[in-house]
Amino acid sequence: MRRAGFGGTAAEIAALQALGMEGAVASLLHPSGDDVAFEAYPANDVLYNANGGLQRSGTQNWWLDRMLRTKRPLVEKMTLFWHGHFATSIDKVPAALMAEQINLFRAQGMGNFRTLLASVSIDPAMSVWLDNRYNTKAHPNENYAREVMELFALGLGNYREDDVKNAARAFTGWPYNNKTQQIVFNPKLHDDDPKTFLGQTGNFGLQDVISIIVAQPVHQRFIARALLEYFLYSDPEPELIEGLAQTYALSGYDIAKTMGTLLRSNVFYSTRAYRAIPKNPIEFAIGILRYAGTTRVPSNLAYSLKRMGQEPLAPPTVKGWDGGPAWINTNTLLARFNYVNSLAAEAPPKADAPNIQPDAIVAQTGFDAPRVVEAIVSAALQDDVTRDVRETIVGYLTQSDAVG
Amino acid sequence: MGNRRTFITSSLGVAVLGGTLPLSFLRSVSAEPLPALGNSIDPRNVLVVIQMNGGNDGLNTVVPYSDDAYHRVRPVIGVAPESVLKFDGRIGLNPALASLMELYKEGRVALVQGVGYPNPNRSHFEATQIWETASPERPQQSGWLGRYLDRTYPASVKPPSMFEAVALGDTLPAALVAQHVDVPAIGSLGGYAYNTIKDAKTSAGALYDGAKPGQSPYLELIGDTARNAYHGGDALRAKVANFTNKATYPNDNFSNQLKLAAQLIGSDAGTRIVFVSIGSFDTHANQRTQQDRLLKMMGDGLKAFYTDLAAHQIDKNVLAMTFSEFGRRVTQNASNGTDHGTAMPLFVIGGGVKGGIYGDHPSLTDLDNGDLKFHTDFRAVYATVLKNWLGHDPADVLAGSFQTLPLV
Repeated sequence: MRRAGFGGTAAEIAALQALGMEGAVASLLHPSGDDVAFEAYPANDVLYNANGGLQRSGTQNWWLDRMLRTKRPLVEKMTLFWHGHFATSIDKVPAALMAEQINLFRAQGMGNFRTLLASVSIDPAMSVWLDNRYNTKAHPNENYAREVMELFALGLGNYREDDVKNAARAFTGWPYNNKTQQIVFNPKLHDDDPKTFLGQTGNFGLQDVISIIVAQPVHQRFIARALLEYFLYSDPEPELIEGLAQTYALSGYDIAKTMGTLLRSNVFYSTRAYRAIPKNPIEFAIGILRYAGTTRVPSNLAYSLKRMGQEPLAPPTVKGWDGGPAWINTNTLLARFNYVNSLAAEAPPKADAPNIQPDAIVAQTGFDAPRVVEAIVSAALQDDVTRDVRETIVGYLTQSDAVG
Repeated sequence: MGNRRTFITSSLGVAVLGGTLPLSFLRSVSAEPLPALGNSIDPRNVLVVIQMNGGNDGLNTVVPYSDDAYHRVRPVIGVAPESVLKFDGRIGLNPALASLMELYKEGRVALVQGVGYPNPNRSHFEATQIWETASPERPQQSGWLGRYLDRTYPASVKPPSMFEAVALGDTLPAALVAQHVDVPAIGSLGGYAYNTIKDAKTSAGALYDGAKPGQSPYLELIGDTARNAYHGGDALRAKVANFTNKATYPNDNFSNQLKLAAQLIGSDAGTRIVFVSIGSFDTHANQRTQQDRLLKMMGDGLKAFYTDLAAHQIDKNVLAMTFSEFGRRVTQNASNGTDHGTAMPLFVIGGGVKGGIYGDHPSLTDLDNGDLKFHTDFRAVYATVLKNWLGHDPADVLAGSFQTLPLV
């Protein structure tokens, strides 16, 4: 639940457990019930507000709200995974296009990677971000083609400079129209001459290059590794990468099937994978709200996340967030602590602020201090807390008279 | 060239500067043993990097006031020749920089003209990344100062102070992103704190202090970092408590940062790198009002800063350097502003700076697509600061080799 979503209340975890492992994985991969009703896009007065700050925070909150309230946590977590993978930033790209790109990741993020990569290649946000809108036969621009090779699909060392040049030529002819906010193929701007790409020659276009890429074993290992590092642990064993890469290739690049294998595998539940990666700040912040059963995103959450090192829609570079130990420094930990403090400290709660008051929990449940602690460590930490720590918390709660 | 730790261990602790000392400096330290001149670097040297956020218009900062072309392209927003603070018969400073001119006249300001890099980028975000990571060709995750810190303190060596490098602001700028050196971002002295009610703080302290390494490979890192974060703010406040600012600073956000910078540098917090910022210089409309106000804020703040540092007799060890992600277009736009352009001047101030003007003003007639042509790569300025001020081999931090400038 933690790693396949954003965490949940004890009741939600119990509901998943009741389905058994197969049932739980199936319900995560192919959620059948209706999701909560969400706005498809942030409101127009957010997206097109003259105040760029509102465009930014409004669009961020639109997505954070969905992460918090969705009944399809894995779908949303994959959306976040692809956002980090195809890292595009609102620092360069208009808010409306960013929202559209997030919707693309949600719609296709559990589907076929070949389709996803093709869609991303003509996605307006990506086209603005990596300049493929300026990539024409007369003036090839290699920026996007290079990142497809290096960061999105193959990895450094698995292609040559000529492959970048020729892929860029194949990607020509997809200009972005500012007025319609659409990308429509323009054959006049496309280079239809023969090209040699990764050892094959032909009059390749965008789809051809993508088909050649996904058929490469190095690509299949690249995607397998990326998923394993995000969901399991850093530096996964080569045989594990190889195994998942095979699943991915045999499934015809199907992300849901690949994720199904990953979630069902023994390794996912192994000692090495247990709490092996620090939660990224977004999962941390949303997780706490979910454990507490609150349905409101604090209005300044995106800024808190920036201080924690992961401002949504604003990855630092096209490489995305480094993750792992890079999440952990004094600034980001202080920001995490103070975020939690701010949730618990607002009394009486502001109308629009979520609040996790020990007093309120006590009032609601009638639990005494030890039972409140039990409930929290059970939902948030799966009871993985030493006796000393429990006693410290209980000691605090009783000694300060916060709890009767 | 060794790294700075080598200098720390090999130095005799005597103030030693490069070979370009103005005589006034020698006189000012004559009561102390005469320093040996050579290539050694004073381990107490501090670098203050000032980000002029938003793209500062260079042509209205250093004004080519006698050039007719300037007044042709800037009929409304041009600085009137009679008001320019003149360096010579051709160029001078915007009058809003009167305080900076005072520092210049004391020989404490080096003006570097025509700074840029090939194939300039006009996006704020990307150009800022380029300047801060010193990597025009490819995106880099670590900043130029972050790499300097990583190379100076390899993973196994902890910096002597957790405040060795600090960013004064709420978040870490790309320039200070390091792989393993932890750089605090300090919005304010009071704000860099664990915010909770008092009795909770004691209990939380017990939790963090009690955190023990466990099975996760990150638990030890998290435990150590949590303890630093938890106690760091208190430690910092204790360290700077005995320092009193001895100058009157203007009351604005920029000066507040410099005031805190002086506190950090002047107390034994061990601070050697400080990053501050001012802006926004993104003057697309009605430029004069906005840019002049910011330039005055910057000049007045720096004047107060160096007055403060001099009163504590540490001004000679503090070098400040400005940068901005790009200069602006040569021709003013229809809104009496300027759009994103290319080359610009930057200032290196204080410390052992050899005051003066470095490089010619870029031509207003020999343009590249209507933009100024740069002649000095910004990485040459970085290389100069790294080598001659921090005593660090620039090749260790910057890809490629850059000729240093004789300004420090």
